[in-house]
Amino acid sequence: MNPKWRSWLPKLAVIVIFLLPILLISPKTYITLTISGLAMGMLLFLVSSGFSLIFGFLSVLNLAHGALFAWGAYIGFSAFSFINKWTGWGGSNSIFSNILIFLLALAAAGIGVAIIGVVTERLVIRPVYGSHLFQIFITVGAMTVMEELIRIIWGPNDEPMPVPLSFIGSWDIFDVVVSKYPLIVIVIGLILYLIVFTILRRTRLGMIVRAGVENPEMVQVMGHNIYRYFTGVFAAGSALAAIGGGMWATFVKSIHPAMGGEVIVFALVVAIIGGLGSMTGSMVGALMVGLSYNYVAYLVPKGALGITMLLLVIILSIRPTGLFPEGT
Amino acid sequence: MEAHLVAEPILKVEGIHTFIGKHHILQGVSFDVYPGKVTVLLGRNGAGKTTTLRSIMGLLSPSQGTILFQNQAIHHMKSFEIARLGIGFVPEDRGLFNLLTVEENFRVAMLQEDEGSQQRLEFILDIFPDLKRFWKAKAGVLSGGQKQMLAIARPLVNRNELLLIDEPSKGLAPIAIEHLIEAIIKLKEHTMIILVEQNFYMASRLGNDFHLFDDGRTVHKGQMEELVANEELKKKYLGISG
Amino acid sequence: MSKENLNPVQTFRLREKEDRFRNPYFFLRILLLAFFLVTPFLFRSFEILDVVLKIIIFSALVASYDVILGYTGIVSLGHVLYFGIGCYFVGIFMGKLGWTSYSHLTLAFLIAIVISGILSVLIGLFSLRIRAIFFAMVTLAFMEFTFILSSQLRSITGGEDGISFKLPGILAIDFSYGKFLGVEFTGRLISYYLILILSLILFLLMLRFVHSPVGRVLQSIRDNEQRSIALGYRTYLFQVIASSFASCVAAVTGGCFAMWVCYVSPDSSLSVSIMLDVLLMVIVGGMGTLYGGIFGAAFLMITRAFLPKLQTLMASLLPGVPFAIRLSERWLFYFGLLFILIVYFFPKGIVGTAQEIFSKRKLE
Repeated sequence: MNPKWRSWLPKLAVIVIFLLPILLISPKTYITLTISGLAMGMLLFLVSSGFSLIFGFLSVLNLAHGALFAWGAYIGFSAFSFINKWTGWGGSNSIFSNILIFLLALAAAGIGVAIIGVVTERLVIRPVYGSHLFQIFITVGAMTVMEELIRIIWGPNDEPMPVPLSFIGSWDIFDVVVSKYPLIVIVIGLILYLIVFTILRRTRLGMIVRAGVENPEMVQVMGHNIYRYFTGVFAAGSALAAIGGGMWATFVKSIHPAMGGEVIVFALVVAIIGGLGSMTGSMVGALMVGLSYNYVAYLVPKGALGITMLLLVIILSIRPTGLFPEGT
Repeated sequence: MEAHLVAEPILKVEGIHTFIGKHHILQGVSFDVYPGKVTVLLGRNGAGKTTTLRSIMGLLSPSQGTILFQNQAIHHMKSFEIARLGIGFVPEDRGLFNLLTVEENFRVAMLQEDEGSQQRLEFILDIFPDLKRFWKAKAGVLSGGQKQMLAIARPLVNRNELLLIDEPSKGLAPIAIEHLIEAIIKLKEHTMIILVEQNFYMASRLGNDFHLFDDGRTVHKGQMEELVANEELKKKYLGISG
Repeated sequence: MSKENLNPVQTFRLREKEDRFRNPYFFLRILLLAFFLVTPFLFRSFEILDVVLKIIIFSALVASYDVILGYTGIVSLGHVLYFGIGCYFVGIFMGKLGWTSYSHLTLAFLIAIVISGILSVLIGLFSLRIRAIFFAMVTLAFMEFTFILSSQLRSITGGEDGISFKLPGILAIDFSYGKFLGVEFTGRLISYYLILILSLILFLLMLRFVHSPVGRVLQSIRDNEQRSIALGYRTYLFQVIASSFASCVAAVTGGCFAMWVCYVSPDSSLSVSIMLDVLLMVIVGGMGTLYGGIFGAAFLMITRAFLPKLQTLMASLLPGVPFAIRLSERWLFYFGLLFILIVYFFPKGIVGTAQEIFSKRKLE
């Protein structure tokens, strides 16, 4: 009975979260909330999947992950402003150029932070492999340094984040308000998820990474230089967070140096709920948190945070290791 | 007095001392492995056999002593470099990737997915037909005996000169052990094997040379037939009588 | 109980007790205590008194954190949650509810202690059963959530702005008793001594705890959990006990802090940056030595107090380029770098490494 229970649980949970609120909210509002919930979920997925994969594969607790998220937002911001200055694509009405500049800015964020990730892994993480305690200490230091560097380079104040013209606003479909940008976030998020999923499942590289999540030592013993993979996964996970940062900033329309700290806790909770080391887990967990947060925020404004905490407590009581096992 | 004929040892382990944290586990381990023979490492629990294998494989770094593989010093090399030289490792806990399929387990083990590996794979699957049947199944669903087969078969897809196997009979039913012994006898001709075993029956059926470990040191060596006949040694270092 | 009939454990304990007073560090500590006692008379500046008392309060907090980190070996990233609970109960009672009397003050402390204890037991039972690393993450999550919660529940906690309040009777700032040895006996001074005594009691309690049989089991769990389990100890229960003891102590330090600054807000009592400060103090002072906390707290508080002055000095020397100014302004940046370097080179903390060097010298 037990194993059957277990495989049903995550699917059941998502269904409950999806359907229960219909009873309490009018259908039109429900659709709007669902869309923003899914969008928030996608963003949370991007941030937490990197953290989860890094923990699963390298067995490293990277508390600086939030700072990398912030860096992604800031690089995206600068890239956007820069490209826009030269081409005006951001302010134009053409959807095509809007999308182009947006994707370019995100790509810049992803690549930039991937580079930062490689440097960080080599300098800061390598010395502390094997000791979670020292990882906590040193990544906290790294987080401080990264956050302060943002303040030094871009200044300590909040900045408004530019949004491509055609992303603003919403459509009115059968009396339902469908915001444009959240839809874009959902689409991009899904595409990225599929890319990561395909790499993990269908490529040799992904296969070795999945093997390494289960048993890094054995992968070494089979002749693969796992340190190269460590650096690569770290960079990839950081890049995902960076893209999440860029999109998050566009969502809330502002950036500020401490934004990493706010999001890291949600990323943590999602990663724990979904199961550390599992991509699918991050996705499911992120959607659960995103949706529940939005529904409850509408029904009981101050309770949104509580529902996230409640989810954490419930999942930890039933399935302490998270919904999905490592490496799925 | 044994007389090893002209053949050069393929692996020379000399005076190894290995620490794990503060603990001085290996306090002087020396032995040679000759081509064409199965070398068995015997000894009580905690005598240092597994630590020795791990030191050879580069998972632990000896603080003293040398390990030469085909006259190349490997004691300071990293594990993946050692693996690429042609040494395969089957750890005590088998080291399988349970969430990956049998096929994927093999593919990860392959250094290169090329013709040679494919041919070797076919040869292996002839010896271990069960693995062919469960090809697309997740490694985690295999039985204990099958898991052990997979663990030993995996490193063979590469041109491994030397295979280190740590306590393969652990947790297996007698009939599974028989299968295992037959399989390893077939493998003997293609690759050198260092076997660590607690199961004396298995050791005696497979081993040519033996080395006894006690308290982190190699204390005795010789031919397997000698040991089988020597009650005193067996009792003193292995705790078995009869 | 004659000496010959004692078993080895008892002999060891007895010897330990006797050596306690011959330990050279002991006199150092008495000296330190004496220093704290006469500080108001040595330094007339309030600023220095403020720094010293903050050192005292945070030493106790860091020591409580060391109980779980250094002695029990589990990592919590949400320890400041209990500090915040202590702060808030004092703040809410004195400020929001206006219950200003000595008994109410004491009640606030007691309730904070009880709630901290219960909360930490719940969190511990929940997350310590799985893997220790979960404890770190779950405690961080809980602390952050409470932070956000306290920013939102304006009616109870005063939201982001927090609560300012006054202390009762002789503790109030404007209370004055007259002069003694040239120093005016204000409510401030009395608060200082009250907090000093409280912190001392806490410290002694913690010392007692780590040297008690329970404390020793904890250390054995830290050193070799498998063996402790093999010996029959339900390790996670002991970890939960240690965690709840430490959190009760943290709650009291929180209450003291609130008393001194007469103000609570999410940023000053529950924020992650305070937790980071604690981590910094631990890494500087070393783990597994309660006294290391004093060193770490002193380091942090003193640099915090004087760095801004250094900063303004630097800014006045440099040209007016914004980037250059910001580079010199953001001392936290250099702090972070320094922190990373300290972790890298002194994994045992500065005090811990120093101790190691001294004991190595002794062996030679």
